[in-house]
Amino acid sequence: MSRVFAVVACAFLIQGVVTAQQARHPDLSGVWSYAIDRAPAALKKEVNGQVTIQKIDQSARHGDASAIKGVQPSTPRPAYKPELLAKVKDLADHESRTDPVFYCGKPGVPRIGPPRKIVQLAKETIFLYEDISGDPYRVIPTDGRPHRQYPNPSAYGDSIGKWEGEVFVVDVTGFGDDTWFGEDGYFHTDAMHVIERIWKDGDNVVWQATVEEPKVLAKPWVMPARLLRPSTDSLEESPRCVESDAPRLLNDDHHLQR
Amino acid sequence: MRFMVSAAAFMLFSVLAVGSLQAHHSPSAIFDMSKRVDITGTLTRVDWINPHIVLAIEAKGNGGKVDQWTFQSNPPSWYKSVGLARADFAKAIGHEITVEAVKARDGSLYGYMQKIKLPDGTSYELINSAEPK
Repeated sequence: MSRVFAVVACAFLIQGVVTAQQARHPDLSGVWSYAIDRAPAALKKEVNGQVTIQKIDQSARHGDASAIKGVQPSTPRPAYKPELLAKVKDLADHESRTDPVFYCGKPGVPRIGPPRKIVQLAKETIFLYEDISGDPYRVIPTDGRPHRQYPNPSAYGDSIGKWEGEVFVVDVTGFGDDTWFGEDGYFHTDAMHVIERIWKDGDNVVWQATVEEPKVLAKPWVMPARLLRPSTDSLEESPRCVESDAPRLLNDDHHLQR
Repeated sequence: MRFMVSAAAFMLFSVLAVGSLQAHHSPSAIFDMSKRVDITGTLTRVDWINPHIVLAIEAKGNGGKVDQWTFQSNPPSWYKSVGLARADFAKAIGHEITVEAVKARDGSLYGYMQKIKLPDGTSYELINSAEPK
């Protein structure tokens, strides 16, 4: 009997320790949303002469996040080494033909941006995304382990997470070289190193990433921060991606992206 | 086939999605944004796919032949954000609908759907402003 009591007591003790560990950090768990540029800005519905307008929320995209506490100064564009500027321009000029994402390719980290859903556990944090290339996820260990020694190169890299005060910091290495880290031809090599910082700002979450790429960038690029708002919109499996427009392209026009 | 070129100027639009990366070509890379067509015919297919949803229509063409039109529109996530799902269009499969679109520059029976009128009289139109037109 006393043995049973001891086991139960230990279970409660362990649970208490885990809860206490979680309680030390802000809880990032939840579903988050942000809007990015996209027009048409609304859908007009007409039934028997009655018109309703369903607007698209673009407020989060256009809000300036630079004044939020903890946001690091950023620049709109990365600083490539001078000898690589022509290559970047050429890729950007022909983006609708050269960007892998245009053809259902994986955006990878950091281009995919912040996660749509965060599940914060005691020893790992899980990021879930919705994306037309599929619906990727990342399991980010937070138990103090180092990066894997020989990770296979990938679009989302090898991630480890830790807390620096109130900020969850994700260190990402192990990239391949077949994604872009942003629009306008931002190519990289397998030397890319990304640091994501995520923290609470009231009810919202702020995400900001820094790209270190010593082979192609003259200095690290601190990306503009993104403000995420709590969302009740459930995650949904992205429909399959079937790109069939390429043979019809008659010029290099392309629209804004993130 | 009802084939009408609208003289109305048309807006340039993009198709990016909330929380879902959607980088793609501009419609102007494929479509003549000044050449608007109205097509009435039977809806035969609705593909709820990325990067654009696709609708197929059989319409009466010249000399009694049947023209197979294909229209793309915004991505599924865009329609989700304005409260529409595949079923809102698919319920009209086998029935006559009218689509207003901008036509492909290559002359094919291909367009970018701007407005659709369903058999029950409901119409949906992409607009560039939250104000009624």
